[in-house]
Amino acid sequence: MSKRIGVYICHCGTNIAGMVDVKAVAEYAATLPGVVLGRDYKYMCSDPGQEWIKEDIKDQKLDRVVVAACSPLLHERTFRTAAARGGLNQYYVQMVNIREHDAWVHTDKASATEKAKDLIRAAVYRVALHKPLEKKEVPIKPGVLIVGAGIAGIHAALTLANAGKKVYLVEREPTIGGHMAKFDKTFPTLDCAACILTPKMTSVKNHPNITMWTYSDVTKVDGFVGNYKVTVRRNPRYVIENLCVGCSECINACVYKEGKFPDEFNLGLGKRKPVYLPFPQATPLVALIDPDTCIQLKTGKCKKTCIEACGDRKAIDFEQEAEIKEIEVGTIILATGFKIFDSKRIPYYGYGTYPGVYTALEVERLVNASGPTSGELVMRNGQKPKSVAIVHCVGSRDENTNKYCSRVCCMYSLKLAHLVKERTGAEVYNFYIDMRTPGKGFEEFYSKVAGEGVHMIRGKVADIYPESPGNGSARLVVQAEDTLLNMIRKVPVDMVVLGVGLEAQADANDVRRLFNISCSNDGWFLERHPKLAPVNTFTDGIFIAGCCQGPKDIPDTVAQAGAAAAEALALIDAGSIELEPNTAYIVDTECSGCKTCIPMCPYTAISRNDEKKIAVINEALCKGCGTCVAACPSGAIKQNLFEDEEIFEEINGVLAHV
Amino acid sequence: MADKPTFRDEIAGLLHATMGNPLDMCMQCGTCSGTCPVAGAGFMDNSPRRIIAMINADLKQRVLASNTYWYCASCYHCTVRCPRGIDITELMYGLKRYAIWNKQSKEGLIGPVFSETFVKMIVRTGRSYEPVLATSYLFTLGVPEMLREAQTATSLMLKGRLPLLPARIKRLDNFKRVLKRIIPLGEPEE
Amino acid sequence: MKKYAYFPGCSLEKMAQSYHNSAIETLRRLDVELEELEDWNCCGATAYFHVDELLAYTLSARNLAMAEKQKLDVVAPCSGCYKNMFFTRAHLQHEPALADHINFALEADDLKFNGTSAVRHLIEVFVQDIGLDAVKAKVTQSLKGLRVAPYYGCQILRPRKDHEDVEQPRFFEDLMAAIGATPVDFPLKLRCCGGALIITNRKAALSLVRNLLQSAAAAKADVIATACPLCQVNLECYQKLVNQEFGTQFNLPVLYFTQLIGLAFGLPPKQLGIGTELVSAEPVVCHARSNPS
Repeated sequence: MSKRIGVYICHCGTNIAGMVDVKAVAEYAATLPGVVLGRDYKYMCSDPGQEWIKEDIKDQKLDRVVVAACSPLLHERTFRTAAARGGLNQYYVQMVNIREHDAWVHTDKASATEKAKDLIRAAVYRVALHKPLEKKEVPIKPGVLIVGAGIAGIHAALTLANAGKKVYLVEREPTIGGHMAKFDKTFPTLDCAACILTPKMTSVKNHPNITMWTYSDVTKVDGFVGNYKVTVRRNPRYVIENLCVGCSECINACVYKEGKFPDEFNLGLGKRKPVYLPFPQATPLVALIDPDTCIQLKTGKCKKTCIEACGDRKAIDFEQEAEIKEIEVGTIILATGFKIFDSKRIPYYGYGTYPGVYTALEVERLVNASGPTSGELVMRNGQKPKSVAIVHCVGSRDENTNKYCSRVCCMYSLKLAHLVKERTGAEVYNFYIDMRTPGKGFEEFYSKVAGEGVHMIRGKVADIYPESPGNGSARLVVQAEDTLLNMIRKVPVDMVVLGVGLEAQADANDVRRLFNISCSNDGWFLERHPKLAPVNTFTDGIFIAGCCQGPKDIPDTVAQAGAAAAEALALIDAGSIELEPNTAYIVDTECSGCKTCIPMCPYTAISRNDEKKIAVINEALCKGCGTCVAACPSGAIKQNLFEDEEIFEEINGVLAHV
Repeated sequence: MADKPTFRDEIAGLLHATMGNPLDMCMQCGTCSGTCPVAGAGFMDNSPRRIIAMINADLKQRVLASNTYWYCASCYHCTVRCPRGIDITELMYGLKRYAIWNKQSKEGLIGPVFSETFVKMIVRTGRSYEPVLATSYLFTLGVPEMLREAQTATSLMLKGRLPLLPARIKRLDNFKRVLKRIIPLGEPEE
Repeated sequence: MKKYAYFPGCSLEKMAQSYHNSAIETLRRLDVELEELEDWNCCGATAYFHVDELLAYTLSARNLAMAEKQKLDVVAPCSGCYKNMFFTRAHLQHEPALADHINFALEADDLKFNGTSAVRHLIEVFVQDIGLDAVKAKVTQSLKGLRVAPYYGCQILRPRKDHEDVEQPRFFEDLMAAIGATPVDFPLKLRCCGGALIITNRKAALSLVRNLLQSAAAAKADVIATACPLCQVNLECYQKLVNQEFGTQFNLPVLYFTQLIGLAFGLPPKQLGIGTELVSAEPVVCHARSNPS
């Protein structure tokens, strides 16, 4: 059946018309096989332009449309929609780029016009073979999985739960709260971290729409946007969660009279017993038993005074096993946070060698009232420091470790300077390269801390060594060039606080593979667009929030968590999502079951049907990249909108003048 | 016609054999100076960091009036610690060369004459010979120091550690021709 | 029998002859032959680079080209020579235009640089190529209880060649432990001895040497082991001057690591050049003698 093709050439103001003779091209187009009209117009994307297409389809009974204009990335959707409004299947439209691909790269009008004719002819030959494809609609299941229950995960969970959505909040540690639960006061307001965090933690625990699974890991993720099947492993605490009331009797009764093992929550500065609570405000307030140190779990021979102390509650269960849970959700938010830089990578700062050197996070625990020293800034040698050096940029802004700036260290270093001075009255020296205090109230905070008499020395610390070598009670000398005074300074101090930078979690690469998203060069999860889509990923339905996307402070983390929740809400409330039909499909009879295509798919969209022994493509996961189509040795895979005949005709069209 | 290179350009070009040194990227953190054993002991009039700042500001005369690079011990500690990946030691070598070519160095420094003496000696014989080198600095020492140096030299001689005769490579003529193909050093000045 | 092209360097002729002798003798015991590079020239030390970079590279390139003719890797006992030749080779390999320029000059001596000979430091040969186990196997005289401060110095590790650890190396300590000595914790083991500053800024060099001696003394070292002639001379020959300048009373022997290995192998001290020091190494020799195998 001969086609009725309408060809429209856009002037795009002078962008195209300035280099291409659009009238000549339109006339030429009208002579092509199947073309019933060739029009040119100043701005095809404008309302009149689109109307024209719509009217022509009806009046001229067009069954194909070719629009020669700018890049499809800009207006393919516009013209497809215009055609649809005229009653034509939107995939009967082919767009030709005669702006970026032609007018903008030519300096000679004659050649530019010839090329435009070639490109349009190619499109005309091609569009005749287009099939009436339809978008696929995929429903979005209403449940949301949030991985990571720091402040980002908590805020996103509450936002979604308050909107009436079902949330699964999975956290690897035995308590929610993340790093924020470890802080004492937060900058710049010196708000107590626990005071603002714990109410939210309690809300999470009590919320009817939130299922909170702590001490749990996500082990498998299958599916696609709107339809994720996730497997979660709940690790055994050897304590039954809904029977334990957090009374700590078992801990008091443990055969270990005192804590003996490094306390993880206190970063090894304190000691705990094999049965423990991570910290007094842990949520859930449920004890757990460490299988590596508990005598009963290691040898089976213990008096089990803990069970005795638990009494009628019977909450301890040494036979407890891991529980596997399978859930179905429509969207996922990753809020897995960060880890701090390992200071041992800079040996000349002496961390791990000299007991007077601490990381900033360790000092947060020291100044915290629920920390190992009850908020008194007492060092490992039992004394309070009279002089403290705070070193900025440890591991950050450095080609040798991490190139990026970790964004929060200047502020938290100033905060610690204030807290240290407040608690001990010590002389405090902040060694910095640049003072980065850009946020709301940050510069004022800097002034305040400087006004309290904290010494600000502009110079990166080059060396830290004992004042008198061989002397056990030596102070440490912090050496740096004071670049403003133009002097090498060797400041003896009792205590050194390393302003460690932030890094992606150690297993970020494994986690991202589990969820099929990407990481950037620095190791952080990759956002879809750094400005316009900071919480989306390249995988539909999966969002990221907080420090797992890059170092940031609490206000920005909460903002991102809200944004991710909103993105998830938008999908859930829309109810369904439309997927482009330019997917690949397998011609079953041609497939030999060789499995070449399966590992090639970057979106893991191809699987094997073991019964029929052929490959199967999941249309919802397929992004139409064409890799499998090219790879299939039998030619059994084809792609909608990029069929072989379509492509060959397009090539014929381009070369027809030869 | 090319623009006359600025002092900053000249220094950047001096390091042609080593990779392009990103002096522009210096953030003036002071790690180099804090690490430098000589600067830390107070023997440099300008710290290495300050020298880089002066180069980036095209302050040629102040740089050439400095003793900094002549007191660089080439220990490379600054280079391995610089957070911006600048090779500061190579920069110091470059500045020494610049100073020698421009015949402009701070007064009273032993480095320039010592280096030139060393090079002339190698060109003449292909090997180094301590007693000749001694002439380049011996007379800058005060009398008590000269005596002490003589004492040390005598002790070394008695232990058989001081070369009495200069060594010489065998294919010296070829060697001289090789060097001349790079730069005609050792030729009488016109 | 492993063979290397041997580049002694100017210092090893006389000033550091004991390094040369002890190196040859100990390697012979370990079945390694050093074939001296015929007609080697000075590597240029640091001073040549103060005058012209290209000329300085040419000096090293000539030596490397000669080693290539012998089809052997080059081993240099002096850290300065090692650093110059290693990086000359690396730069010329990285920049063919530079190599061409220098090869044009080398034609005048019938030589060509191709980059096929690797450059090793003498201590690397012991630690990596021969291996600590093989060294340990030849120990006949116990150095038990001899407290050695292993002084790496600067140019063995710096500048970085690859991504190796330049801040906390252990190979020198391991080598000393392998011959039965007790390596002590010497915090300044990577710090500069001043190098050529002993001539161009004597006061600065002496203050650096003083810090090193102080650190070794505080660690109660019996002897400082070095792997570079310039370090050895600065630390040892100028010890008296340091004492005069700073009123200290250092009397710390400074020996080459090959001399210590030689003592552990039971070689006669004279053969190892012991006795030519300005700070007597008798205590070290006595310690070795008093510990029968």
